[in-house]
Amino acid sequence: MNLDPDEELGLIVETARRFAEQEMLPRMREAERNRQVAPEVRRAFDETGLADLELPEGVGGAALGSVARVLVNEELGAADPGAALALDRIGPALYPFLEMAIDPVGSLSTIRGNGERILLVTESDGARIVRNDVVRGTVPWVPADRADAIVVLTREGAGLVRQGFSIDPVRGAGLRAAGAGTLRFDEAPLLDSAFRNAREAADRALARARLHVASLLLGVMRAACDFSRDYAQERQAFGRPIAHHQALAFLITDMQMALDGARLLVHEAAWRLDAGLPATAAAASAHAECVDASRSIGPNAVQILGGHGFMADYPVEKHMREARALGLLLGGFDAAVEAAGRSFCETEHPLEIGLGGAL
Amino acid sequence: MDFNLDEETRSALEALRKWGREVVRPVGLEADRLSRPIPVDDPYFERCLLRGDGRTRWQPHADARSTRSRSVLTQLLLAEEFAYWDRGVMIANPGPGLPEASVIALGTEEQKERFLGPFVEPDRPRWACFAMTEPGAGSDAAAIQTRATKDGDGWILNGAKCFIGSASRSDWILVQATLDPSKGRAAQRAFFVEQGTEGLGPFKIEKKMGLKAYESSSFSLENVRVPASHLLGGETRRERSAGFKAAMSTFNAGRPVIAANAVGIGRAALDEAIRFAREQDLLGDPRVRDRIEAMTRKIRMARLVCLRAGQLADERRPNIVEASMSKALAAQVAQEAASQALELLGSTGGRGDHLIEKLYRDAKAMDIVEGTGQIQRMIIARQLVSLPR
Ligand SMILES: Cc1cc2nc3c(=O)[nH]c(=O)nc-3n(C[C@H](O)[C@H](O)[C@H](O)COP(=O)(O)OP(=O)(O)OC[C@H]3O[C@@H](n4cnc5c(N)ncnc54)[C@H](O)[C@@H]3O)c2cc1C
Repeated sequence: MNLDPDEELGLIVETARRFAEQEMLPRMREAERNRQVAPEVRRAFDETGLADLELPEGVGGAALGSVARVLVNEELGAADPGAALALDRIGPALYPFLEMAIDPVGSLSTIRGNGERILLVTESDGARIVRNDVVRGTVPWVPADRADAIVVLTREGAGLVRQGFSIDPVRGAGLRAAGAGTLRFDEAPLLDSAFRNAREAADRALARARLHVASLLLGVMRAACDFSRDYAQERQAFGRPIAHHQALAFLITDMQMALDGARLLVHEAAWRLDAGLPATAAAASAHAECVDASRSIGPNAVQILGGHGFMADYPVEKHMREARALGLLLGGFDAAVEAAGRSFCETEHPLEIGLGGAL
Repeated sequence: MDFNLDEETRSALEALRKWGREVVRPVGLEADRLSRPIPVDDPYFERCLLRGDGRTRWQPHADARSTRSRSVLTQLLLAEEFAYWDRGVMIANPGPGLPEASVIALGTEEQKERFLGPFVEPDRPRWACFAMTEPGAGSDAAAIQTRATKDGDGWILNGAKCFIGSASRSDWILVQATLDPSKGRAAQRAFFVEQGTEGLGPFKIEKKMGLKAYESSSFSLENVRVPASHLLGGETRRERSAGFKAAMSTFNAGRPVIAANAVGIGRAALDEAIRFAREQDLLGDPRVRDRIEAMTRKIRMARLVCLRAGQLADERRPNIVEASMSKALAAQVAQEAASQALELLGSTGGRGDHLIEKLYRDAKAMDIVEGTGQIQRMIIARQLVSLPR
């Protein structure tokens, strides 16, 4: 057993970290204000190849798995999760293509070749598939101002929508670097759909999407923990650094503990996905834990900075808003808990060690 | 990354699971029902010896490094599994227990031979224990008052110790004492006090809320005389002690064991909760499912944090933060899991005869022993934000 990420992924993670720190972090407020990332940042991102991490080799990707994705996303999310969503044009919408036989190579190469922006929405977001070939419904918020196509993922399968939808920009609570809009389907015809016997594949696609979001959350939480901790060691009150008052020292400890624990859950679920083991409950649980942890880490990071934390001069108010916004995607905490809970209740001993050889 | 278990660990777990189900759980339930520790002459302890338990990992005629033992990771998984069946019984098991590691690291060859020797092939169930805590000092271990004064070529010990596991049945007790209470940790030494030594005792077996299968005793030391050879490490122990302390300040393998125990207790509560919910047809209720999900998620997380601390220890990498985190987190998670499970039982939990109700009482100690949750947070905060001592 080895709980550490493999060394060969180190280089990719390092690339992601460098890009995040040098290109994304310094421009996060600008990207938020402009509701998009600057073209030169996008160019630099395309050069890193990070968007192609999980794409099949046939369309020029590196065909890496979920572990690589979650490690990279944590780095990007720590700098600017909104920009991370914007930069990766296909994003989690990739997973239904990968997991289901909807001509993955054909559609994907067109999408990638044209540089199209694709969004993933699920039933819990508000999209409804009627009569197997038409989509209706409204998704009140998607982190995008525009899209070329939408992948609709349900429990039974997935399909691609290219017409019959519109996105009306809204202000957005967070992640504005990716834009923000209300998505409406107007009897949108489903193309390229796969619904027959696709349940298991749909589950896996959703699991991968959950980890995509969860790992961005890990990044935001890490940034919030690191920033507030450093601040607490500098800032003085009552004659000592505020971090040396036990109430804050313990709070900082608990925040770090929550982050480290959530990260291990994400890593284990990603490993299970890559190993082809049952992973949907583990992924849903990891997703839920990230949302849960972020709900305390975000506001607590602001609390540690006091009034300064409330002001946009510091990043923690952005961390707090964006963590919350990220946590609303894919049906949020409730949908993740519901999925994991149903699955755990189907077994007698959900955590017995060594079941099937793995932890 | 690899979450697969090796074959040896799997078969050890499998054997322990069978032992746990058939023997440990019933013995633990009985001790709890009768509200007393497992008696010294209980056949259970003989069965432990037949199984190969109760032995020291120290090997005569070998240096400290060649002691045979499993990886920390495997030990943690086994500690979780044992506690799943009964954590009290696990601690009741015979063997050199808590002080073994200190004796192996710091003891002289004669001390190892004399005090660990009988545990190599024990002729009967034997115990040993470590006595640090006193009525007036627990967390603040620097403040213990038990005095050691030089008397000719021996030592005289005076003081009182409390809550010491298996003390009255131990062959010897490793007693922590101070040469000068005003000098804190630096003036502390550990002494082997053999059972029956004049002035040791009487032992008061405490009535505990949980973990009743093992004995926790309080006792006093009144002019207890021990020879010079009973000072751990001897007079010249200092260098070895410095090395041991340095090691203790970078990795810790003890706290993750308590964390693993807590995970085991939590997991037992989870499984019982699921079983109860299924029998009562409650699994259709989303509130019930949400509870089970939260328990599963938090326990799984605590387990991973614990294993991560163990892996670092195996690799001889610093794990102080991780070890303390694992203990602080797992103790909290286990308590919450048992509490949630009790909630699920409803008033059935109030009857006092359900395993979950026992687990709820047992779990609490995990946040107290070997450094409370607060003490763990202080240790972590020293590393994270340089919290002053
Ligand atoms: C079942 C059981 C078995 C045990 N077995 C043994 C054994 O075999 N050998 C042995 O030596 N001891 C044993 N103990 C004792 C145990 O180690 C102590 O109880 C423990 O260390 C706490 O000490 P205390 O009880 O004196 O509490 P105190 O130290 O008085 O602490 C009381 C409370 O104050 C908090 N506190 C203390 N200092 C601080 C601080 N600086 N900042 C914030 N909060 C603080 C603590 O966290 C705790 O909540 C056992 C205890 C139990 C319950």
